[in-house]
Amino acid sequence: MALPLPPGLNHAEVAFLAEMEMVTVVPRQRLESINLLSGQTPPLRPPHRAELPLWLALLLKKQRRANILPPPWLHPSSLAEIIHRETKEDPVTFSAPPPPPSHANPHDPGTARRVRDADADANLAPPFLPSCTAGAPAGYLPYHWLEVAEALLTHAGDDMAAPAGDVRSLLRDLVEVRAAKMRSSTSALEGFGGGLMSLRGVGAMELAESRGFVLGVVDGVRKIGASAEAARREEEELGGGREDDESDEDMGI
Amino acid sequence: MDIDDILREVDPTFHSVPREKRDLQDLTRAWVAERSAPELLPWPAGGLFERINDNIKRQIEKVEEMTGDMDPKTNFVLIVIQTELERFKFLVRSYLRARIAKIDRHTLHYLSTDDLRARLSEMELAYATRHQALLHNHYLSSFLSSFPPALQNLNDTAGNISMIDAPDLDAAVFIRLLEDTVVQGRGVDADGEMDGRESDIVILRWSDAKPLVEAGRAELV
Repeated sequence: MALPLPPGLNHAEVAFLAEMEMVTVVPRQRLESINLLSGQTPPLRPPHRAELPLWLALLLKKQRRANILPPPWLHPSSLAEIIHRETKEDPVTFSAPPPPPSHANPHDPGTARRVRDADADANLAPPFLPSCTAGAPAGYLPYHWLEVAEALLTHAGDDMAAPAGDVRSLLRDLVEVRAAKMRSSTSALEGFGGGLMSLRGVGAMELAESRGFVLGVVDGVRKIGASAEAARREEEELGGGREDDESDEDMGI
Repeated sequence: MDIDDILREVDPTFHSVPREKRDLQDLTRAWVAERSAPELLPWPAGGLFERINDNIKRQIEKVEEMTGDMDPKTNFVLIVIQTELERFKFLVRSYLRARIAKIDRHTLHYLSTDDLRARLSEMELAYATRHQALLHNHYLSSFLSSFPPALQNLNDTAGNISMIDAPDLDAAVFIRLLEDTVVQGRGVDADGEMDGRESDIVILRWSDAKPLVEAGRAELV
């Protein structure tokens, strides 16, 4: 049977994607390397840390075979800093996404260079960036922040740096602040005449939540303004690209 | 393991992603793109899908062998392998279903030109052709046969109106930029242009996003 879902990932699919994020675990039992479809898992030897996909880490955690190290951005002080930035420093746009991973360049000491896969033809993107491991930078929310935080709080609440309740209430504040931004960005959609809108720093879950609405508005505006747009294009072709403001008022949106 | 492997492991600049992992990344990207794009995207090149299918088959065989010996230690390994297997199966299934849904909706469109046909895999092409033939025969036997012969076609383009429904290529999509690049978008009131930075999330029309996605400068989210 064909897929009855509308285009765009829904919440469950986003959560599935987030489970591919890598996290850092501290094993409590030895476990030999397993030959999985996505490659070999690192052999687990306590107390050496290892990086595993979130779904596997949660499985180990549930069986009490490992503890999960929460990513630095999930620390209460980091969350508080992000909330401060989201509310005080920049109350309009989302806070910046984590910088691309880089490490020291041995050929030119003192400089850093991007981690780039030499033979891949395209750059990596979440969920395959190491943005939820113990080595991730604090103070930046990765793309799958809400899903990862929620999964860690639910299943590994005792591994948090602070009581899970405190982290949860900070997260709730953050969700609300950012939801308000998402809502206010829809008012920018009203005049979506420019054909482009950037939502830098937005999270996957927030996107899934308002995807239907945002895309509906953008497509609706396009259909209503289709004839005006066709007229404008024709005019531009004839008048050599002369801008005309009249069409704005005609639209009445 | 020889000395090169050991050196490679301790060299922080050497980041070779194993093939299996890259396949998962490619499949995930293809799945997300197919779920988000308004039209059918080309079938992945380079035998990606065949490779993944073979791997899944091999893994299932392994699971069947392992269920034979019920040692508590291998038992957990088995759970891990099966969990991962189910995740892969979900990805593959969801990807194929998303494609079939698009083929079903605009069958004649995807069969109309060679360029569009090339996007379908062999199996999908066989499915679409047969499905369309069955449908047309059914229409013919139930009502089309009583129409005049000139009106019996399903792909008439007379009077500048094509009967073939095509997907809306101007539908809005979300993309993530994978590198710094200029993004251009056509709008109702004006055409926009911006200097996009890496990991920007941009809303724009699919027809404007398509060149960026195809060049690997952006991906659908």
